[in-house]
Amino acid sequence: MKNKLLILPSIFFAIILSIFFYLLITERNPSEIPSNLLNKNVPFFEAESLFKNEKFISSQELKNEIILVNFFATWCKPCRDEHVYIKRFSNKKGIKVIGINYKDNSKKTIEWLKNLGNPYSDVLIDKNGRIAIDWGVYGIPETFIVNSSGIIKYRHVGPITNKIYKKINLIINENE
Amino acid sequence: MKMNNTNSLILTRILIISLAFFIIQFFLNVSYTVEPDEILKNQEHELRARNISRNIRCMICQNQSIDESNAPLAKDLRILIRNKIKAGNNDKEIYKFLTDRYGDFILLKPPFNLNTLGLWFLPFIFLILGIYIVFYHNKKSG
Repeated sequence: MKNKLLILPSIFFAIILSIFFYLLITERNPSEIPSNLLNKNVPFFEAESLFKNEKFISSQELKNEIILVNFFATWCKPCRDEHVYIKRFSNKKGIKVIGINYKDNSKKTIEWLKNLGNPYSDVLIDKNGRIAIDWGVYGIPETFIVNSSGIIKYRHVGPITNKIYKKINLIINENE
Repeated sequence: MKMNNTNSLILTRILIISLAFFIIQFFLNVSYTVEPDEILKNQEHELRARNISRNIRCMICQNQSIDESNAPLAKDLRILIRNKIKAGNNDKEIYKFLTDRYGDFILLKPPFNLNTLGLWFLPFIFLILGIYIVFYHNKKSG
């Protein structure tokens, strides 16, 4: 009887151990928080554009095509790292790339885009970070994929790497 | 003997003072980072803002409330909460505004709903299971 009782905790321990081991070997970022905006409409916002004179109104612009929304800043080093991938997206057909310039200096941003190339069809100014809060952004850079009905399908926190680039491409293809 | 008495008196005093210090520290919990320019003039509003801020997680540090964190986003959210209070929003509306954007994760205390059922009940289930095993085991071996 005593042996029987010892088996139960051992099984229990083995289960816990395998769960921990599974979580350890699967690739995931435990500090990454899933977006609450997934499968919801893009938040409504109005913003000044860096290069255009007209006001950007989200409900009018973020629809009818797949849009990649990228929060970036010139003071953010990972933004520079992922810039090459943003440029690749801008060359892709059937997708519009919009940049939201987070708490930045407009002059520096224009210079930065001149040096590195401007992949954005429009750059919006988020001077005090209020637009970012509406998108649930907590770490720059962040990238969102919005489908043609204006629904957010994907969010990535941190710089786009080769792996994430491939993943986003798959999501774009799925939503086409 | 006299020397001993003074010594023990000093020791007791030190003990009492340090104990008092720890108790005050514990209850005051003065480790907040609200900056002077953020504080609202209306004390009732400020108190409400502080209470909400204590329950809101700093998304950058993740284990601190925005009341304790000096991350820029925490500051932005503290100001936003105060602006919303000034605009006449109630606490429930402010919590909803934040959870709509950042999810339940932004609340330091997880809400009680279908998704968090396990989180709230599993500890009790394990406790009951543990008690059962201990008693069952004792009964058998006894």
